[in-house]
Amino acid sequence: MPSSNPKNRVVAQHGDMALAERCRAGAPGAFDELYRTHAPRLFGLACRLVGRPEADDLLQEIFLSAHRKLDQYRGDSALGTWLFRLATNLCVDHLRSRGTKWARLTDALVDDPAGVAPATGSVMGAVDRLDLERALTGLPDGCRTVFVLHDVEGFEHHEIGMLLGIADGTSKSQLHKARLRLREALSTGRRPAREVGLKRP
Amino acid sequence: MTICEDIQPRLGDLVDGTLDAVDCDAVAAHVRGCNRCAGLVRDFEELRRAAQGLGPIDPPAHVWLEIAGQLRQATPQPAAAAAPSARGAAVWQWAGLAAALVVITTGAYVFLRLERAAPAKPPTPAADSATGSVQVFADELTEAMTHYEKAIAELEVITKTNNGSLDPTLAAALQKNLLVIDGAIAESRTAFTRDPTSLPARDSLLEALQRKVSVLQETVALMNEIRKGDQAGAAQVAAGLQKKS
Repeated sequence: MPSSNPKNRVVAQHGDMALAERCRAGAPGAFDELYRTHAPRLFGLACRLVGRPEADDLLQEIFLSAHRKLDQYRGDSALGTWLFRLATNLCVDHLRSRGTKWARLTDALVDDPAGVAPATGSVMGAVDRLDLERALTGLPDGCRTVFVLHDVEGFEHHEIGMLLGIADGTSKSQLHKARLRLREALSTGRRPAREVGLKRP
Repeated sequence: MTICEDIQPRLGDLVDGTLDAVDCDAVAAHVRGCNRCAGLVRDFEELRRAAQGLGPIDPPAHVWLEIAGQLRQATPQPAAAAAPSARGAAVWQWAGLAAALVVITTGAYVFLRLERAAPAKPPTPAADSATGSVQVFADELTEAMTHYEKAIAELEVITKTNNGSLDPTLAAALQKNLLVIDGAIAESRTAFTRDPTSLPARDSLLEALQRKVSVLQETVALMNEIRKGDQAGAAQVAAGLQKKS
């Protein structure tokens, strides 16, 4: 996330412009620096949105695309934000190209059985990072994308709406659906014994 | 619709703090008296907390190698365009390689230090000073070679893992080419070990190591194109590789 201090933000964006200029000029080590700085966050995004086996190729595509499009970066936002937007678009294009219609990914919550009958009381306990990563892979593409952008990356619904080309309300309902499904997947009754501190029989 | 079913879609907004004051009071009042909705709120809060802990993930090294290989092919080689002196060309090749391979980025830095530390003239009678300079030069060259060798080792792992994807004739030609380069590396290393102050021996050794990195890097790029099913891209890389053979 960019710095909240305006002065720091200006300095950071000045540095971003300088790095972008060096990349455009083909300065030795410049694109390497860009990659080292931003690849881990973008790889995390790609892994969570499209899954690990395809994330390697997608990360390549993201940076090759960034290299081609660097001329379009004007310094209006942080370079990381610009790259993140590019990466999100490529991830979403990739999901669409899998053959799943995006309209289907944004089904209304009322159509989903997970949204109708939540269990009584708290059912999860503390959630382990690896369990959550695993549970994310079981979500439908649309609500997983919204969950990752909102709860993991910290975007607001109106920003997600702009990134994905959906209404704010759709983003909200997808997030609600994702949370209900994750809650079900991570409920202590469904997790393996070792993960909830119980002994195996 | 029950009160709970009406309230539940707004529980997420309560957790995210995006309800206005009136709605927030109404939803919070319901949650205080409803065990079912209170449980949902607690679980949503826990999910948010866990999600915020999901950080960046380091990509595997081969991703950068493949990106660098593709950028290198797409970028015109400056040495061919300007035909500078042999030393100038070597520096340009170093610069291009440093941009292309993350694993030897530090090696480029070491090389620049080497350029400064290298004894430009034969050793002078100031024996202590010259000996020190030669030692620094040798140490830094060793460091540069270590970086090259690391790059070669990583690239060899990738190429051996994916060797089955290559056409057998091309794979054999590449193997032959690599053996020739290995011979050149061994010869240059022997010459350099015999005379650590020899600039030609040093340049020859670095050039041979660089050549091996370059061939391996393009082999990885070729395997990548084949894996993606891009026949045109694969043909382009293969043509470049055959020129090097």
